[in-house]
Amino acid sequence: MSVAAIAFSPEQLAEVRRLQSLYPDKRGALLPVLHMAQDTFGYVSLEAEEYVAGLFDLSPAHVHEVVTFYTLYFREPKGRHVVAVCHNLSCHLAGAPEILAHVKRRLGIEAGETTGDGRITLQAVECLCACEAAPMMQVDDRYELNLTPEKVDRILEGLA
Amino acid sequence: MTLVLTRSFDDSSSHTLEAYRAHGGYAAWEKAQAMEPAAIVDEVKAANLRGLGGAGFPTGVKWSFIPKNHTGPVYLVVNADEGEPGTFKDRYLLERDPHALIEGMLIAARAIRSALGFVYIRGEYVEPWRRFSAAVREAYDAHHLGRGFDVVVHRGAGAYICGEETGLISSLEGKKGWPKVKPPFPAIKGAFGQPTIVNNVETLCCVPPIIERGAAWFAGLGTKTQGGTRMYSVSGRVKRPGVYETPVSVTLRQLIFEHAGGVTASGRLKAVVPGGGSAPILTADEIDVTMDVDGLKNAGSMIGSAGVVVMDESASIPEALMVLARFYAHESCGQCTPCRESTGWIYKMVHRIVEGHGHKDDLDTIVDVAKRGGGTTICAFYDGAVGPYVSYIEKFRPEFEALISRA
Amino acid sequence: MPKLTINGKEVDVPAGTNLIEAARAAGFEVPHYCYHPALSIAGQCRLCMVDIEKAPRPTIACNTLAADGMVVFTETDRVKETRRSMMEFHLINHPLDCPVCDQAGECWLQIYYMKHGLYDPRMTDEKVHKPKALPLGPHVMLDAERCILCSRCVRFCDEITGGGELGIFNRGDYSEIGLFPGHDLSNKYSGNVVDICPVGALTDRDFRFQVRVWYLDTAKSICPGCARGCNIDVHVNRRRPHHNGGRRVARLKPRFNADVNRWWICDDGRYGFDFVDAPTRIGMPSRRADRGPLEITWEEAIAEVASRLARYRPDEIGILASPRMSNEDLFALEALAGTLGIERLAFAVPPAAPGDEDKLLIRSDKNPNSRGAELIGLGGSADALLDDARAGRLRCLWVFHHDLLASAWPAAETRAALERLDTLIWSGTNTGATSELAHLVLPSAAWVEREGTFTNFEGRVQRFRTAVEPFGSARPDWDLLGQVLATVTGEGAPARAEGWFRRLAEAVPAFAGMTYRSIGDAGQVVSVP
Repeated sequence: MSVAAIAFSPEQLAEVRRLQSLYPDKRGALLPVLHMAQDTFGYVSLEAEEYVAGLFDLSPAHVHEVVTFYTLYFREPKGRHVVAVCHNLSCHLAGAPEILAHVKRRLGIEAGETTGDGRITLQAVECLCACEAAPMMQVDDRYELNLTPEKVDRILEGLA
Repeated sequence: MTLVLTRSFDDSSSHTLEAYRAHGGYAAWEKAQAMEPAAIVDEVKAANLRGLGGAGFPTGVKWSFIPKNHTGPVYLVVNADEGEPGTFKDRYLLERDPHALIEGMLIAARAIRSALGFVYIRGEYVEPWRRFSAAVREAYDAHHLGRGFDVVVHRGAGAYICGEETGLISSLEGKKGWPKVKPPFPAIKGAFGQPTIVNNVETLCCVPPIIERGAAWFAGLGTKTQGGTRMYSVSGRVKRPGVYETPVSVTLRQLIFEHAGGVTASGRLKAVVPGGGSAPILTADEIDVTMDVDGLKNAGSMIGSAGVVVMDESASIPEALMVLARFYAHESCGQCTPCRESTGWIYKMVHRIVEGHGHKDDLDTIVDVAKRGGGTTICAFYDGAVGPYVSYIEKFRPEFEALISRA
Repeated sequence: MPKLTINGKEVDVPAGTNLIEAARAAGFEVPHYCYHPALSIAGQCRLCMVDIEKAPRPTIACNTLAADGMVVFTETDRVKETRRSMMEFHLINHPLDCPVCDQAGECWLQIYYMKHGLYDPRMTDEKVHKPKALPLGPHVMLDAERCILCSRCVRFCDEITGGGELGIFNRGDYSEIGLFPGHDLSNKYSGNVVDICPVGALTDRDFRFQVRVWYLDTAKSICPGCARGCNIDVHVNRRRPHHNGGRRVARLKPRFNADVNRWWICDDGRYGFDFVDAPTRIGMPSRRADRGPLEITWEEAIAEVASRLARYRPDEIGILASPRMSNEDLFALEALAGTLGIERLAFAVPPAAPGDEDKLLIRSDKNPNSRGAELIGLGGSADALLDDARAGRLRCLWVFHHDLLASAWPAAETRAALERLDTLIWSGTNTGATSELAHLVLPSAAWVEREGTFTNFEGRVQRFRTAVEPFGSARPDWDLLGQVLATVTGEGAPARAEGWFRRLAEAVPAFAGMTYRSIGDAGQVVSVP
């Protein structure tokens, strides 16, 4: 999604103020508002960081600190779907390296990259805490469990 | 066997208020409202409830650290930033019994005189967050919440260190998840500068049963120093990976062979991580240990978040260490020097060993560096890293040396 | 007042003192990086560990308050071993830049490694690479690889200057100090982050690659950039004159004064010494002649000044002193004026643009000694002097330091007034539009080239000391004025600045009882509010 200018709508600004009011210090709403910015603008650009900084009376450097610290904020445009394959302990024991290699082959990209058609961004991530169903991955909002190469193929094909 | 925490898991609507009420939910809260805060604290102390997120600290004692003469706000913060490798129990609770957590929060808030609670849910847990938020709305509609106690649900953004209680507080305050230098401790000066209690999801879910059925009952379910049951997350090379609720007096052998069905792949047990990724590893000879806080401490490991990861004879210990070393390097917050600099370096060394380019001094260097850094950092994250760094090499050294001699 | 024991020595400290300061009070240095008395506690470097009785492990000293009865040990074997470990952790990814790093010689990694480390490094893997030689603004250069992430600079920009320009981005060993991409570190105190950076991560662009610090000499001085009078050290390069582009002053550093500037100075003050060895610097007295200024000797110059002054009635002579002159210079001038009966005296020429001011250090009066000039009695109307010159009532004007054609006064009128004068004498350090009109130009020694005192806006009299020899044949103004006075009266004049200060203290009530010794390094406030 490309946006002409980085700005929240009046309704969204009201939501920002509502979120800020929930915390004893309005800064507590920073992570939720950055999620809002990412959902609205597709990713958190430097311009979005400066915009959000203005909403919180924070220096842009301090917002940049937060955005670069956490893994769920994308600083560049991401694919329409995010596929995050867990490569931590239990998933490793259940064959995560092979699953990850399979996904890379299917998509033709490395972890951290996005397919050329903008469809999928691939990540290798740490424990998603679904170890009882290893190997597993997170696709957008949902967990996909007990993966096999065949199941992976079905899931990837279903992503438009 | 008494199921306390998971008693309604088989009911597919267990997450709804209606189902929770049908199972007797919110009766404990009613009972607690007639109790003095100090009495609630005493009851939880007598129940021997220990923190179930990792540190195993006595919960009632933690609650009692709130200064008595404090006139300002007190905050209750729920640590739902589950992230310890091998652990998934809180996810189950958020998805299948969110009202148990809400009821536990209400009672805890009364005990510590808090009017505002925050539930910090890791950012990756989207479905659990939706489930829990829906339950919060139900609780508000039913006037359990909003009558002296409010709950703010807060999503994290991807950082394991936000599971450390002061790292969580920093993140809740809208900053990087940097743990805070202690003292002051959160009960004295925590979130937004006010006295704060941070409790794990499962810990708080134990509170309604304690109030309803009494401390003696809860204490009696467990061992001398830890009461109750807990949810063990069992995964790795076992036949039936999953969550198993048992009294804390269960042994590791029982968990692996009786509950989880025994070892897969080669069928022969090689090693077990008993308490989440940060727990020192146990060999196949060391599994006759009681899975309570003191039982594992005495065995040279820790129960932590009760994440049990089973490895069979065909599993590579050096690879397992590499996976964890990569995890610690990735998740180090970077604030203090020993952790920031050595987690990256140790990963490089272990990776090099696994790839066949190890040097003969590497193993001694890793163990020595880890031991020099242990106990010197702002928070226990590094000590959690030291657990695997040292125990995997000390207990399985020949397997590492074999890779190095081939180099 | 908690009383505690440190390394067996009992010491009393004020409540709220941390163990680093308590140890210092007892005479023991606890090594540290991230702690700074002006900033909040970070507790990040982990170097300041000490052993405390009853504590199972060493504890950081910066975050531990001294308590009554506490027993602290800063030199146990365990503490020493912990320090050695911490040095190793700090150096794991640190680049081997010493040969090309300006910090060498005053680098706290070097210093503490030699004192507390001395281990054989065993890190043979690839170090983490980060941006190097990245300008952060006009004055500061960042080398992110060298940074030990002590966060002092971040805290400085948050807590002292308030702009929050710096942050620590990413996490783990990819953590990196930086600005918001595209932004600048252009606050007015940016140079201070170089001072507080313990290593060569933040260095001075002006000083970059100029001269090695172990060739520098130092003198205590006072910044003359405004009326605050920040205490400084002047670092001078005498031993390698072919380095630093031939400039003798290498850099200025703030000197701690709890009552004036604490640990800081502003950038204008810090970098305001270019004029000292600039090409416009005047080395010899000169007389105006048809084919340009003719250099003369000091004997000739002083004789000519005396004779020209004698040509006019006292009411035809005006003297424009400068609030850049020291108390000694100004008093010598007052003495000469008094002897000659000259009453048209002033010092405050309006500047072309109003000076900036802030709540931290910067004063809008960009002169170091307006207060001194006032107290010594030179506070007449400069505007009236200009009027007199314009109207022809003034036939002789002696201007000290001002470039009147660069002031707020209209240039054309001012030039006309100056050209109408029969005698224009100009004393100062560098040529300018006004000096070009003068009949006689006399070179003044710059403030780094002489000693004396300034009186800051709060009335604090502070000493500044000679850091380098005067340029060419330049002389302190008090010396020139004393020689003129001696020529006029036949009596000897003080040969040192202190001699003039003694006379000043006797003559002007505000300075009564003051001596160079009583002023010391902290300064002393005048008796008049």
